[in-house]
Amino acid sequence: MAGVRLEGIYKKYPGSDKASVTDVNLDIKDKEFLVLVGPSGCGKSTTLRMIAGLEEISEGKLYIGDRVVNDVAPKDRDIAMVFQSYALYPHMNVYQNMAFGLKLRKFKKADIDKRVREAAKILDIEHLLDRKPKALSGGQRQRVALGRAIVREPQVFLMDEPLSNLDAKLRGQMRAEISKLTKRLETTTIYVTHDQIEAMTMGDRIVVMKDGFIQQTASPEELYNHPVNIFVAGFIGAPSMNFITGTLTDQGGSLKFKTTGVDVAVPEGKAATLRSKGYVGKEVILGIRPEDLHEEPVFLEASPNTIVNANVEVAENLGHEMYLYLNGIGSDTVIARVDGRSTLRDGSSVKLALDMNKVHMFDKESELNIFEN
Amino acid sequence: MSTTDWLTPLQHILNCQVRFITFSLSDWKGLVQQADTSWAHDDNREKVTEGNRAANNGRTWIVVRVTGNAVEALEIEGELKPAEAELITWTLQWNQAQQQAVKPGTLSESESFALKLSEWIQQQLESEEPSYSIPDHLTAGGKLFAEMIPFLLVTEYTNGKQASYPELEKLLRSFLAEDILLIPLKNQEWLIWGPVSLLKEADSEFMDDEDEETVEDSLSSICHGLHEMLASEWIGECHLAVAHPVCPAKGIVETTVLLRETINLGRKFHVGTSIHLPWMLQLERLLNAIPEVQRSRYLEHALKRTELFVEAEMLATLETFFSLDCNVSETAKKLYIHRNTLLYRLDKLKQETGLDVRQFRDAVLVKIILLLYKVTKRN
Repeated sequence: MAGVRLEGIYKKYPGSDKASVTDVNLDIKDKEFLVLVGPSGCGKSTTLRMIAGLEEISEGKLYIGDRVVNDVAPKDRDIAMVFQSYALYPHMNVYQNMAFGLKLRKFKKADIDKRVREAAKILDIEHLLDRKPKALSGGQRQRVALGRAIVREPQVFLMDEPLSNLDAKLRGQMRAEISKLTKRLETTTIYVTHDQIEAMTMGDRIVVMKDGFIQQTASPEELYNHPVNIFVAGFIGAPSMNFITGTLTDQGGSLKFKTTGVDVAVPEGKAATLRSKGYVGKEVILGIRPEDLHEEPVFLEASPNTIVNANVEVAENLGHEMYLYLNGIGSDTVIARVDGRSTLRDGSSVKLALDMNKVHMFDKESELNIFEN
Repeated sequence: MSTTDWLTPLQHILNCQVRFITFSLSDWKGLVQQADTSWAHDDNREKVTEGNRAANNGRTWIVVRVTGNAVEALEIEGELKPAEAELITWTLQWNQAQQQAVKPGTLSESESFALKLSEWIQQQLESEEPSYSIPDHLTAGGKLFAEMIPFLLVTEYTNGKQASYPELEKLLRSFLAEDILLIPLKNQEWLIWGPVSLLKEADSEFMDDEDEETVEDSLSSICHGLHEMLASEWIGECHLAVAHPVCPAKGIVETTVLLRETINLGRKFHVGTSIHLPWMLQLERLLNAIPEVQRSRYLEHALKRTELFVEAEMLATLETFFSLDCNVSETAKKLYIHRNTLLYRLDKLKQETGLDVRQFRDAVLVKIILLLYKVTKRN
C-alpha cells in the first residue's frame, strides 16, 4: 500500500485562459480514505483523473509512494479505478471480467481463481460468476466493477461518483459496503462525490473544492464545526447553514448582533475575538446551523438574551424531526430543525433561542470565518 | 522497452523532471536557433537526427525520434553535465541503430500484412477514384469476406507514451478474440476489426426475451467495454468509434471514412466524450454540412433573444433533459435538484426565449441551437 502526494498540481486545458485545477497540494496517507467534494465544475474529477493518469498534469508533481508518476501510464501506476461511467466487458462473464486484469499481468491461474473467488465472496456475488453483465441488475454490475478493482490489490483505489447510477436505497447500502470494504482491505482510497452525505459518512478526511481551488481539507467533524469560509459552511450540512447579515454593536459593555427582528448578545469569548479584530460597529454575516435554533422551553429560559420571534412559513414534518422555514429573522428565510413531536404548523408564531456559542461570524468582504482565520 | 518504461528511471538518475514532447520540424529548428547551446551529429544543424540537443534557460531538449515532420524529444528541467548529455545522446543513437538493424526481420506476419493493407487503404482514401473492394492478394485468403465489427481507435499520446503494434495486437487478442485484425492508419490511429461472434457472446441465457437488446445497444456496450479496457490497461485516454458489422473486403474504405467522420463529429460536437457512435450523431452530421456562415448567422439570431442559453447551469440542465428524452422526473433526479427547481428553470427559458422545451417542436429548435453553440463558440 502507499500514500499519494500532490505537489503544486495545476491543470490547464489548451486554449483556455483559466486553470481548471490550481495549485493543489495534498498529502494522502497510506490507508487513508480521502473524499474530494464540491459542486460540478469544481475540479474534483479532473484532479482524480490526473492521479489516474487519464489527464496530463500541466504543472506540479504527483507521487504514489515515493515514485513520481507524472509520466507513468495508467496501467503502470498500480491503481484501480471505479468511475461513474464504468463499463463491464459485455462479452465476458463476471468471473472473466474480474480475472482479465490479472490475466494480462500474467498471474498464475490458481492465484487468479483465489483472488476472484475471495473478492466475489466479499461482494456477495459468488452466485453470479457465470453470468454476463447484461443479466445483472445495476447494483450487481456495480459490485462487479468494484470486484474488478479489488482483485488487483492495488496501492490506491480511485473512485469517481461510483454510486451515482444507483437508486437511493441501493446507494445507502453500497455506501456502507464500500466503507467497510476499504477498511478491511486497508487500501488508500480517493473518492470523488458531489454528495456531502457520502463525503461526511465515508471520508477520514474531506477536501472541499470550488472553482479549481481547495477551500479546506479536514476531518468531517472539523469541516462541520470549523468551516474556514462561507462556501464550506454552506456546502457541508443539510439543510445548509443559515446566513444572516447584521451589525455588531457595543451596548452597555456587551456585544450585540443586530438586524431586522434580531437583537442578540454575543458570548464573551466570541465577543473578545470580534473586538480584537476590529469588527465592532461593522457589518458581518452570522452563520447558524438549523439545529442550533431552539424552541424548547428549557433552552428559552436559559438563553433570554438570544431570543428571536419568527413566523413559520412552512413546517415540514419528516417524522423524527421537523424543518421550520421561518421569516422575520433577518431578510431571508431561515431554517430551523426541531423535534418531530413539535406542534408548530404553517402560519404559527414561534419564539426561538439562538445557540450563540455555536454560531460562526464571517467577514462580509472576504467571506472568511472570523473565528477560524 | 517502451518510452514510458525508461522515462521514470531517467528522472531518478538525473534527479529532475523529464518530459516527452513533440515539435514540428520547423519549431525544432527555431528552438535550436534561439538556444544558448546546441549540438548536432557531425555538427550538421540542418539535419535533425536522434541525439541532437539544445539547451536554453536551464532546460535541455534531446531528440529521441524523427518521423516525417514530427520531432519527438525529451525535455529535461535542468542543465545536464556534458557527460550526462553525451551518454543520453549515445544511448539514443545506439538504440536507433539497433532498431533499424533488426526492423525488417522483426515484423510479424500479421503486422506486415496490416501495413500493406494500410498502405492500400491510404491510397484509396487519397485517390479521386477509389476502389472500394480489396484486391485479391490482400483478402487474407478470403478471411476478409466474412462480416466483422469495425472500430476506429484514436489515441492522444502525451508524455512519451507510445504504442507498438505487437503490444496492442496482443492486448486485443486477449480481450476480443484471437481472430481480430489490427490495421495502423495515420499516426495514433488504428482500425480494429473484431468478429461478429462478439455480439452473440454478449447475450446471456439468464435474460428474458423482452429484455433483448438491439444490435446498436450491443455494439455500444462492446465499444464501452473496449474503451474501458484500453483506458485502464493500455495507454490511457483514447477515442473510440464503432459501426455496424460489415464485410471488410467490400467495405473497408467506406467504413474507415464513416468512422473517421464519426470521431471528428463526436469530438467537435461533444467535447469530453470518448466513445462515438455514428447512429447517435445523425443530427450533428446534418448540421456539420451547413455552411459555416449560415450556421453562425442562425446562432447569432437565436442567441440575440437571450444569454440564457450560454449559462453553464442552463446548458447542463438542457443537455441532461434531452439525454433523458425530455423526462422531467428523471432529469431532476439525475441533476440532484427538486422537480420544481427544474420546472422553474424550464419556465424561465420559456419566458425569455418563447421556447418551451417540453413541446417537441421547441425542443428540436433548442437542441439545434445548443449543438451549433458548441461548434461556433470556439471559432
